[in-house]
Amino acid sequence: MEERYSRQIRLAEVGTTGQAKLQAAKVLMVGAGGLGCPALQYLAAAGVGTLGIVDFDRVTPSNLHRQILFDENDLGKNKAKAAKAQLQKQNTSLVINAYETAFDIQNGLALTAAYDLVIDATDNFETRYCINDCCVLSNKPMVYAALYKFQGQVAVFNFKNGPTYRCLFPTPPQLEEVPTCETVGVLGVVPGVLGILQATECLKIILELDQILSGKVLFYDLLTHQMHSIILPPNKKAIAALKQKNELIEIFNVSCPPSSQIGLEALRELGKFVWIDVRELHESPQLDLPNLIKIPFSSWNTRWEELKHEQPKVLFCQSGQRSKKALELLLEKGVKNGYALSVGAATLAYWNQQNNNDKTD
Amino acid sequence: MEITIRYFGLLAEALKKENERIVTHALTLGDLRKELEERYPHLQDKTFVMAQNNTIKTAQEALLEEEVALFPPFSGG
Repeated sequence: MEERYSRQIRLAEVGTTGQAKLQAAKVLMVGAGGLGCPALQYLAAAGVGTLGIVDFDRVTPSNLHRQILFDENDLGKNKAKAAKAQLQKQNTSLVINAYETAFDIQNGLALTAAYDLVIDATDNFETRYCINDCCVLSNKPMVYAALYKFQGQVAVFNFKNGPTYRCLFPTPPQLEEVPTCETVGVLGVVPGVLGILQATECLKIILELDQILSGKVLFYDLLTHQMHSIILPPNKKAIAALKQKNELIEIFNVSCPPSSQIGLEALRELGKFVWIDVRELHESPQLDLPNLIKIPFSSWNTRWEELKHEQPKVLFCQSGQRSKKALELLLEKGVKNGYALSVGAATLAYWNQQNNNDKTD
Repeated sequence: MEITIRYFGLLAEALKKENERIVTHALTLGDLRKELEERYPHLQDKTFVMAQNNTIKTAQEALLEEEVALFPPFSGG
């Protein structure tokens, strides 16, 4: 076996057999952000043979303090693609697949089927419940981490029929109940530590080591360094019901058709349109866009009528969740020519800034 | 009985405290949840799970004379 892995092969827990297992393993990373970047780096270094990276988003300057696979030359590039390029440089022998898309109910099962386990490094509940359900239906482990400021949660779900994310949180929180790193802020090392814990569990699973973090959830406070390892009993009834139903459902039940969602590239086909910022007024970044109307999601029910005109309107928010929900209401009311932007405000801000620079150059 | 309640993440911020001692007559964790929601209306629209004795428990389970932890979901990433 190659010298580059000699120090880990020397471990009795790895050996040449373990290294061959790593080489044969296929790991799917959903989200190449603050958790995904450090985890991917270690998995690539350890020689995990096949890595899949799913991310629809693009690199913005506000990502660079924590998404350490990217540098200034990657700004504006798709994250899955940029991560692949960096990792391939790090380890040329790996097969790395970049998927420039969101992980959702349309592609989730097919993506899961092509890999041995899935790492949940997302920043939203829609995708997290979708990963959970795909892993349950495909009998694959899900290596989970999430964070709020300095606190983290880490667990391995659905490991050998063990408890799932739905056993911990049977019902998703309300849309926008739980703020993301984008809104509350984050110190880069926090997802860094948690992402590396995910990579650790991933390697342990591949190497078939004991003591997998399954059947419990690790709650870790990085300010106090207090750790609570809490036992999570499986909800066998709920797992059986999901398996029997054998289909994926959207947790927020947003019936925003794909034809009403729009990417940045397609905007110029719309002609003249108005921007609708559905975020609350205090949320940043504030955007300097032409024809911008601010209608916060909290007042949507009373103010949607302002949009009863024929002109195309493109709705955006912080992550893309509220804009879809807001658009759903417009569709219900029969308002035409509405679109939900597929990316969030940070990506839009960067794109807008680049566009303005191009114009002045 | 008198027990310690420990709040995590957003819950600690909403209540402006990380833990407290409370006197309760609740017999189950579900009853305790109702008591806490009455005391703190902030909790009513929050999603969280409860753990006691280092184990995530359902609302039906009996309240023991031990610390209770409230964990909300975190997003990410």
